[in-house]
Amino acid sequence: MKKFLLICSVALFCTITIFAQSTIPALAKSPMFMSTYPAGFGILKIQDKVTEPLAARIIYSRPQKNNRAIFGGLVEYNKVWRFGANENTEIEFFTDVTINNIKVKKGRYSMFAIPTKEKWTLIINKDLNSWGEYKYEQSKDVLRVDAPVQTSTEIAEVFYIYFDKAKNGFALNAGWDNVKITLPISMK
Amino acid sequence: MLKLQSVLFTIIFTTLFSCKEKSVIKNNIAETNIDSLSKNKNPYIQPDQSWLDISWYPVDYPIEKMKGNDSLHLIAKLIYSRPHKKGRILFAESKESLCAYGVPWRLGANEATEIELFENVNIAGKNILKGTYVIYCIPHADRWTIIFNSNIHTWGLHINQSKDIFKTDLPVQKQEPALEDFTMVFKENSNGADLIMAWDNVKTVLPIVFIK
Repeated sequence: MKKFLLICSVALFCTITIFAQSTIPALAKSPMFMSTYPAGFGILKIQDKVTEPLAARIIYSRPQKNNRAIFGGLVEYNKVWRFGANENTEIEFFTDVTINNIKVKKGRYSMFAIPTKEKWTLIINKDLNSWGEYKYEQSKDVLRVDAPVQTSTEIAEVFYIYFDKAKNGFALNAGWDNVKITLPISMK
Repeated sequence: MLKLQSVLFTIIFTTLFSCKEKSVIKNNIAETNIDSLSKNKNPYIQPDQSWLDISWYPVDYPIEKMKGNDSLHLIAKLIYSRPHKKGRILFAESKESLCAYGVPWRLGANEATEIELFENVNIAGKNILKGTYVIYCIPHADRWTIIFNSNIHTWGLHINQSKDIFKTDLPVQKQEPALEDFTMVFKENSNGADLIMAWDNVKTVLPIVFIK
């Protein structure tokens, strides 16, 4: 019995030690990334090459495929998905914009998506600084908009979001694995 | 005695299990193979070698919120990129070193490191209003000058020093164990929080006092 108790205390001690370490955070498995419109705004700024003001910035984490089935697998169809990994994906508009004829005031929002085979419903929501979709509440939605799914022959191993120029403003492009979507954002 | 045994077992298993759960939730405390990442093809944007990360105060604020800890009040959010040492000389006199003494350094990589304060705070006797700032550093052998700057949304090179709003000197301390990845993290102290900045075998600590 004494021996048993000893083993138990050693086991407990080890567990506590595991807990106690790690104030210094390791690198995230899904690295975070920042995209702006105009693309590469910070670099343009230090090169004195800015031609239009900063309109949008998105901060998101980039999960990897790692041989997994993504849409319909890891990311379930018809369920709210965090549109990234780890912390909420956050988008900031530095000017009022219009998406699908709905005005969105300048400011910071979280983004989510509900993927299906044919379309993704993109969600812009008022909650900020949260983790994943666990705290998602539909009552805080600013808008929901559908974007048709395009399939691509090139496989994106890592989830991506970037902006590029489009009619009346710019577009948010996102994709992972063999699918991608485009969301037009108007500044008019 | 049997009862004692089962109680002990329960304790151990619960502890072990919750430990496992913690690592699942955090999903990011893992050895990461950077080389494997860079080999991954992406037709649009390759993941950055020095990727972005967020440090929160309260620590892990979004995770705490997810767990239902709604009473926490967000004070600070720091967004920075995390370069790796990769065998290079970092802090040294030589202008060839990555963070040469006397030369402004972006406290990270890529975009300028950004600190957002959700409350007014006091640092080294000066009140800093809530808002978003670029934070950068001028390293020296014995001290780092830490500077807050108002020119936000910029790249970390060529800091516009005319927009500096605050600076303070912090003594350089020894970091053990030496760190491969540059790290900035908040830690609670008796008056507020310390912002720990550490890389390789050095660190500095910026005490932030919360104004009650």
